[in-house]
Amino acid sequence: MLALVRTELSKQLRRPRTWVALGACALIPIIVAVALKASPPTAQEHGENPFFLLSVNTGLLVPGAALRVMSRLFLIVVVALFAGDAVAGEASSGNLRAVLVRPVGRGRLLAAKLCTAVTLSIAATVTVAVAGLAAGVVAFGFHPLDVLGFHRSEGQLLLALAGGVGYVAWSLMGIIVFAFMISTMTDSSAGATLAAVGLYLTSQILDAISALGSVRNYLPTHKLDAWDGLILGRSVGSDMWQGVLLQVPYIVLGIAFAWWWFRRKDILS
Amino acid sequence: MPPVIELDHISKRFGRVLAVDDLSFTVEQGQVCGLLGPNGAGKTTSLRMLVGLVHPSAGSLRLLDAPVRPGVSTLARVGTMIEHAAFVPYLSGLTNLRLYWEAGGARFADAALDDALAVADLGDAVHRKVKTYSQGMRQRLGIARTLLGRPDVLVLDEPTNGLDPGEMREVRELLRRYAESGATVLLSSHLLSEIEQVCSHVVVMERGRLVTAGTVRDLTAAVGTVYVEVDGDVVAARSTLESLPGVGVVHDEAPGLLVELGTVRRADLVAALVHAGIGVETVVSRRRLEDAFLGLLHEET
Repeated sequence: MLALVRTELSKQLRRPRTWVALGACALIPIIVAVALKASPPTAQEHGENPFFLLSVNTGLLVPGAALRVMSRLFLIVVVALFAGDAVAGEASSGNLRAVLVRPVGRGRLLAAKLCTAVTLSIAATVTVAVAGLAAGVVAFGFHPLDVLGFHRSEGQLLLALAGGVGYVAWSLMGIIVFAFMISTMTDSSAGATLAAVGLYLTSQILDAISALGSVRNYLPTHKLDAWDGLILGRSVGSDMWQGVLLQVPYIVLGIAFAWWWFRRKDILS
Repeated sequence: MPPVIELDHISKRFGRVLAVDDLSFTVEQGQVCGLLGPNGAGKTTSLRMLVGLVHPSAGSLRLLDAPVRPGVSTLARVGTMIEHAAFVPYLSGLTNLRLYWEAGGARFADAALDDALAVADLGDAVHRKVKTYSQGMRQRLGIARTLLGRPDVLVLDEPTNGLDPGEMREVRELLRRYAESGATVLLSSHLLSEIEQVCSHVVVMERGRLVTAGTVRDLTAAVGTVYVEVDGDVVAARSTLESLPGVGVVHDEAPGLLVELGTVRRADLVAALVHAGIGVETVVSRRRLEDAFLGLLHEET
């Protein structure tokens, strides 16, 4: 199993597209920091996203600002790409059959590919935070947050940031597993990626329709932003816990179906 | 000794299409068996089922005396190339070989790399990205990849696709040498001449069904056509044979003649030549595999 994971990871890490995606994940937070430095935001402009407003006080909030913005779409596309290409990409090139004519169980191969997709997706999320942190510290310094009597030390901010990164990475798992599941069912990696992005957008749209009532609580993106209170000092334990649990059925059902489908699939490409 | 490859009444249905219909044949150790049939005959589907890529709808398959299922451990003793040789395009040829080998949990140091690279004959290009390779280079690397594990069985689908005549000859010689060393080879090909030159046995398929199976020699030994070599004037011999009632077409095939016997017996043909004062050196059955193949398909339809 470890050999398979190493092989899969080795393939992905030698792929230019992986580095382009991770590079973009690093570049956007830098652009955010530069933009905030060049044109400090006003309360009117960013009333709904306090990260931007407060970032000028300490660089430790810039990664939060970048993560909040990028988890709305860009990170979704990146992780959907990693997961959507995992099986379908190799199937379309014919390389999947070259692997499966070896004594490699399909379940093991699937697990190795999912591990690789998840690892790269976590790496993308961490990259956003690390690049944002570096750019933020350069632009606004390494300070505690002291605004209108609200105080958060550097350690508290870093800890909250780590918690936010972990939460976002976990919250993307439903999308990752969905893209991966579709990837086992098609030879088109673009199709699997678009299906996952489509699921995310649909979930976001439905989440905005308040008439749907409690149904919205079960949408995979419903609690995606629950983590930001960690940094801003709000009580978020219940929301985040619900957000964590919300992903579980999507992950379990998605993996179970992918496994069931792939074991029965005829490799014809 | 049980057969190395055994297909027992296998069928494969894709929706309404019956791609393989109740196919049975065996391949014994050391045989080079050719799988022959027109496009859509079910050759590739049969090979895919043999190595666990496709699940049969009915029947059973055994490989090296073990049931076939996806990822079964006996696949470690099988070198397989199905359709075109596929690689990760942005990796070098050598890295592709390494990752392919290590995916099976084996150490690359244990692979027969030198032998494989000799077959691939890529020189320094083995360090270049595969996407820069010609089709022939990919195909050679694909054949090399099947040999990494010194397999007991080779399953090859159109192995000489994209190769030039010199490379095709090298592959044919490689397969012959490999079989002589005790390995078993099952290959499909559209090239009848290739099957004829390489294979000891042949399985003919059409529309998913078995048409016939046996040795190439048996299949081509029918008496329909004979090759005649004479001691004397070949032009006169041709003229004599063409004037003999019941003889079909007479072709030149230097240094002799290829004669379609029609209703004439071989003995009558010899008698006619001797009567015309032409000495007969050789008369042998000379039905080419192509004739046999097309004849079989014609009978089927």
